[in-house]
Amino acid sequence: MNDETELLTKYIRTETGYAGDINPDEDLLKVGILDSFSIVSLAMFAQEQFGVEFEGEEMVRENLSKLSALVALIRQKQSSAGK
Amino acid sequence: MQFESLQNLWRRAIGPFKEFGAMAGALYAADQVLRRLSPQVGIYVYELMVQPIGGKKLLSANLAKNLTFAEIGRSDPAIDLMPARPEIKRARFDQGAICLGVFRREKLIGYAWFCFNTYEEDEVRCTYALAVPDQSVFDFDFYILPEHRMGIGFLAVWHGANEYLRARDVRYTFSRLTRFNVASRRAHAHLGWKCVGKALFFQAYRVELMLATLAPFIFLSWSGKSRPRLRLWPDKLRAQDVGQAGDMR
Repeated sequence: MNDETELLTKYIRTETGYAGDINPDEDLLKVGILDSFSIVSLAMFAQEQFGVEFEGEEMVRENLSKLSALVALIRQKQSSAGK
Repeated sequence: MQFESLQNLWRRAIGPFKEFGAMAGALYAADQVLRRLSPQVGIYVYELMVQPIGGKKLLSANLAKNLTFAEIGRSDPAIDLMPARPEIKRARFDQGAICLGVFRREKLIGYAWFCFNTYEEDEVRCTYALAVPDQSVFDFDFYILPEHRMGIGFLAVWHGANEYLRARDVRYTFSRLTRFNVASRRAHAHLGWKCVGKALFFQAYRVELMLATLAPFIFLSWSGKSRPRLRLWPDKLRAQDVGQAGDMR
């Protein structure tokens, strides 16, 4: 597990109390670990932790509901900002 | 094959009890049975909630930057995008309700309705009266357009509502949640709501019997002229405010 995924997983566990396995490729909305409020909270946590800024249009299910997709977005933002 | 059907039937029968608990599950099952007998008979189970209008912004500045919030008037074309029936929307404006729309790049993503002082319930005969009207509103029909539901929509509408209400010195917003709407309960839980009362309405044709945890507790009505009035107090949040202030000292 990469650093970003590990940190995001830790955040999800703290916020939701979920103690089971979290697969980075699993749709966390579909399995009920996150809801429409908590995926945006997770994205705002990611902004703070990794120093990136998302656009409102990027706050969609495809980018947020899987940790692997969110990590890909974080890295894309970091590379376009030259980090 | 028959075993599978029995299993499905069993799952359907115990599903509400697993989801809502014993008491609410039993009420849900009773409501479903009654509605099959007649669509004019049923049970409504409500929770009356209060939610703080906090100082903290729900969205970061970059996520909120293309959002705008504006009141939607009765002749605004955005009204037609709302799924409620036209006569319901007219009745809301007639009782003085305000509709706040949230837009991204001028496109409606969701809206919420607010009433000041009182709200006339439209599913059953009941009036909710705000006990501290200068600091409270009653919110209802909080709606996110389907294409924005799994993104920023929910938080964007609450972000806009908070900004709008805070600018008017409103500190508490009350709402009525249907006990069986699990998604709505979960969503409101994020926003720090507290339950201030519960009400159950048994409706049979023109007769309605209310049982509530708030005065007048029991009310029987058989025409639109008689309706119970439930006063809603924000005391649970006020107690919390006092506790938090104490913790900070």
